[in-house]
Amino acid sequence: MTLLGRALRGIREHARTHIASTLTVGLALFCLAGAILMLENAGALSARWGAPVRMTVYLADGANAAQVEALRSALADLPEVSETRYVSPSDARAQMFELERDGTLANASVDLFPATLEIRLAPTATNADRLAVLGARVRRLPTVSDVETYRGLSDQMRGVLQTARTLAFIIALIVMLCATAVVGNTVRLSLSSRMREVEVLRMVGATRQYVRAPFLVEGALLGGVGAIFAIVAIAGVFFSVRARFHAPMTAILGMSPAFLSAWIVALFVAGGCALGVTGSAVALRRWLAV
Amino acid sequence: MGRPRIGAAFGRHFRPEGHFDRAAAHKPILVLDGVVKVYRADAPVLRRVDLVIERGEFVFVTGPSGAGKSTLLKLVYRSETVDEGRVLFCGRDIARLTDESIPVLRRNIGVVFQDFRLVPYWSVAHNVAVALEVSGLPSRIIRSRVSMALERVGLAGRGEDLAGTLSGGEQQRVAVARAIVNEPAIVLADEPTGNLDPVLALDVLGLFEEINEAGTTVLFATHDRTLLEASPRRIIVLDDGRAIEARSGLAGLSSQMGRPMAAERLPA
Repeated sequence: MTLLGRALRGIREHARTHIASTLTVGLALFCLAGAILMLENAGALSARWGAPVRMTVYLADGANAAQVEALRSALADLPEVSETRYVSPSDARAQMFELERDGTLANASVDLFPATLEIRLAPTATNADRLAVLGARVRRLPTVSDVETYRGLSDQMRGVLQTARTLAFIIALIVMLCATAVVGNTVRLSLSSRMREVEVLRMVGATRQYVRAPFLVEGALLGGVGAIFAIVAIAGVFFSVRARFHAPMTAILGMSPAFLSAWIVALFVAGGCALGVTGSAVALRRWLAV
Repeated sequence: MGRPRIGAAFGRHFRPEGHFDRAAAHKPILVLDGVVKVYRADAPVLRRVDLVIERGEFVFVTGPSGAGKSTLLKLVYRSETVDEGRVLFCGRDIARLTDESIPVLRRNIGVVFQDFRLVPYWSVAHNVAVALEVSGLPSRIIRSRVSMALERVGLAGRGEDLAGTLSGGEQQRVAVARAIVNEPAIVLADEPTGNLDPVLALDVLGLFEEINEAGTTVLFATHDRTLLEASPRRIIVLDDGRAIEARSGLAGLSSQMGRPMAAERLPA
């Protein structure tokens, strides 16, 4: 009988134990898949929000319309810029009137409000350093009095998201260790109910490899099938939540959360198999004096 | 099944280069040379035991509980190792076998235990076939030899039954079938009738005698005096760690000693 045949026979003979074990492993791997999903989307969020998104160019007093338009066009042509908008002093006072309640600043003279060019940046095309260089160059132009890159804010945002990403990674690591322990204990339980089998095999002249190999294959199948269950379950949860809350999530996050890529799913299942084999090997080594 | 080819089977399987050793066929199948086995320092189980078993013999090993019967058998199939001395199986020192060679040794030894040691959720056929599966034989040959072994022990047609559903006597027959299906050089029986009633015990003894008549060496450990008296065979008594031999039953042992054997030294 082939090795796979012997492993499948072992699974059939202890079907209930293996079903319970697979579901247990699947639950542990479900948590791991969730952690990886968080990790992936935290990474995308970090890329989206951690990058600088806007810049304000304060125009010098006396800059005429032609100069302002020339500056606006030049900035609009840059690859880092997705949108430029001229805000006149009266527009700025009107915006302040909308924000303020008591109207103290909004009633002030329009001369107190500077004319600006509001620049919206393409997040994927800009980083903080590049923006700083751009800001410094624009600042030297005669029609510009100052440039605000909001670097501090984007640095803070990036820091928060990086922390979230690190936390997700740590959670994933802890869950992976727990999943390994679960697999190991599950295999040990399976072994303990099959010690007579092992005893007989050794008595009739089976080699260590002959005895161990089916248990390793069973562990791989346990981990692989558990991983598939986990992926299916997490996909069910993810897509149902996304379908229900798609619009508000996109509005808040500025992006639509994505499920794990096919490549990551394949790696996850392979990882589940590897986890199963590892758990089996550890249990065999510790609990089977073969 | 025919007469087992003892020497060829052992030579083919036991020698690492796989060649038949004609010289091995003329050597005693089992030699214990000054064997000492100690579990507790103040009470060695076996004290310098010297023993020679010729091919084709049927030998009883007897003695009170704790005398070392099981230990002696364990030394032969390398479940235990000697502390001093040598155990030569077909001329080869078992104690010097590597871990990789022990499975090869065990494929040439059939073992039957008091508690049968079957896997209850396996079928009868599977319990017997496992002794051949580990050798990697084709399924067709395995099925054929299992069928012949079951027929030989009187369990023809019971292959599909679960081993756990059989009676004690039937389970022991399955264990015997497993022990002989691989045509071993020697069969070791460790109190095989210990869990059986007297009638079944004699029945099982008869089975071992049939196996021996076909040429297989049998080493039968028991403390059942009924069996010792029922079959006039060579008897080895383990007493205080030493082996005392008789070549024709308990009476022979008594005459060899020149006096009736002390009651406390005879098995109950």
